Amino acid sequence: MIELSHVKKTYRDRTVLEIDTLTVPQGETLALVGPNGCGKTTLLRILAGRLKSTEGSVKAAAPVLYLPQKPYAFRGTVLHNILLGTHKKRGEALRLLEETDLLHLKDKKAASLSGGELQRMALCRLLVRPCSLLLLDEPTSACDAAGTELLLGVLRRYREATGCTMVLSTHTPAVALNTANRLIILNGGTIEADGGPQTILRAPESDWAKQFIAGWRI
Amino acid sequence: MEESFRKAFELLLSRDPELLQILGVTLRMSFFSTTISCLIGLPLGTLLGTHRFPGKGVLKKLIHTLMGLPPVVAGLIVYMLFTHYGPFGRLNLLFTVDVMVVAQCLLITPVVIGLSSSYMETATKHTIETAKGMGLSRGRVLFLCLSENRASLLSVVLNAFGRSIAEVGAVSIVGGNIQWKTRVMTTAIMLETNKGKFHFALALGIVLLLVAFVVNVAASWTVREARDD
Repeated sequence: MIELSHVKKTYRDRTVLEIDTLTVPQGETLALVGPNGCGKTTLLRILAGRLKSTEGSVKAAAPVLYLPQKPYAFRGTVLHNILLGTHKKRGEALRLLEETDLLHLKDKKAASLSGGELQRMALCRLLVRPCSLLLLDEPTSACDAAGTELLLGVLRRYREATGCTMVLSTHTPAVALNTANRLIILNGGTIEADGGPQTILRAPESDWAKQFIAGWRI
Repeated sequence: MEESFRKAFELLLSRDPELLQILGVTLRMSFFSTTISCLIGLPLGTLLGTHRFPGKGVLKKLIHTLMGLPPVVAGLIVYMLFTHYGPFGRLNLLFTVDVMVVAQCLLITPVVIGLSSSYMETATKHTIETAKGMGLSRGRVLFLCLSENRASLLSVVLNAFGRSIAEVGAVSIVGGNIQWKTRVMTTAIMLETNKGKFHFALALGIVLLLVAFVVNVAASWTVREARDD
């Protein structure tokens, strides 16, 4: 569950995010889309508690898990990375590695993984822990089509099993449309369109949103 | 120069008891002052580099100023603290190796804090973002920051050791350069130079450099191992 009220984030005199109200019920999956610099990462970081809003109130159900845009590979093996701080979940970690096609790399040094493999490992590292709110900043940006499909499958199963709220940002239309039951288009830090993916696709709320969706070439 | 090198090796090979005693005091003093400074400075530097709090800018400026603290001033401050009429006079530590370690800690700790905080400020951005995103505790995040950057932090430790072993001003004021007690390599070099025994002073200098070289080689090996890990 997320509740945002009159949230504003400014850097000196530049406003990068301005949201009047936003409520996301528990269990909903929300996809944030929009061009570079539209405020997706800022919103996710505020929800994750990694950034303080300049104004307004933010309520988010704890515990929150957050996957940054550039996840870091800690020293040690892939399995060691996943079990950091949660050593009792070895079985679950191995299952997740298998689901994301990383099991054969479990003893490899995490720092030597490719971009796509690192993203999959970083997601496994989060999903081995329970949460009420899962925040993902471009979780499939480095993945190929097969890798993306694997990740989306794992995410769907995790959401069904835990009933968590999920907010993800993406530049890939397929990820937004196949994962989320609600879509928000951000432009210049404000909400340009908000609703179900099919509703927005059929009848975008503004000309700008219409133009943005036209660029998706679905 | 040739004469000095010959003398340096003769000194080392002769196992001169006074030289060995001076070398022992030097290494003991440098080891303890580096260890104490790093035990205090590395966690503080990590906190300073990875956290935001009111007054951080002022604190950083203060640390950077203290990084340039002249050794003789540090020596003078510690001397005044530990002299008979000073607040710690009753401890009777003046002209001992212990107080030399205290003076060196006063000099080196700001260097360790300053260097480690500058490094951590830039190097741990993704580490912290990822670790906090995983919901890890503050203690574990701090531990990860230290552990992930151990190779670079080792170079901070080496820097501290280098400053400690080469320091002369503070240790000569609070230690007094007493033979068989508080004489270290640098104060011995100073004394021999004042006596006009330049070859002997240079020989001691070469021994000091050799010791620093051995420590550096050992540390470089450790850093490489840490990086490869």
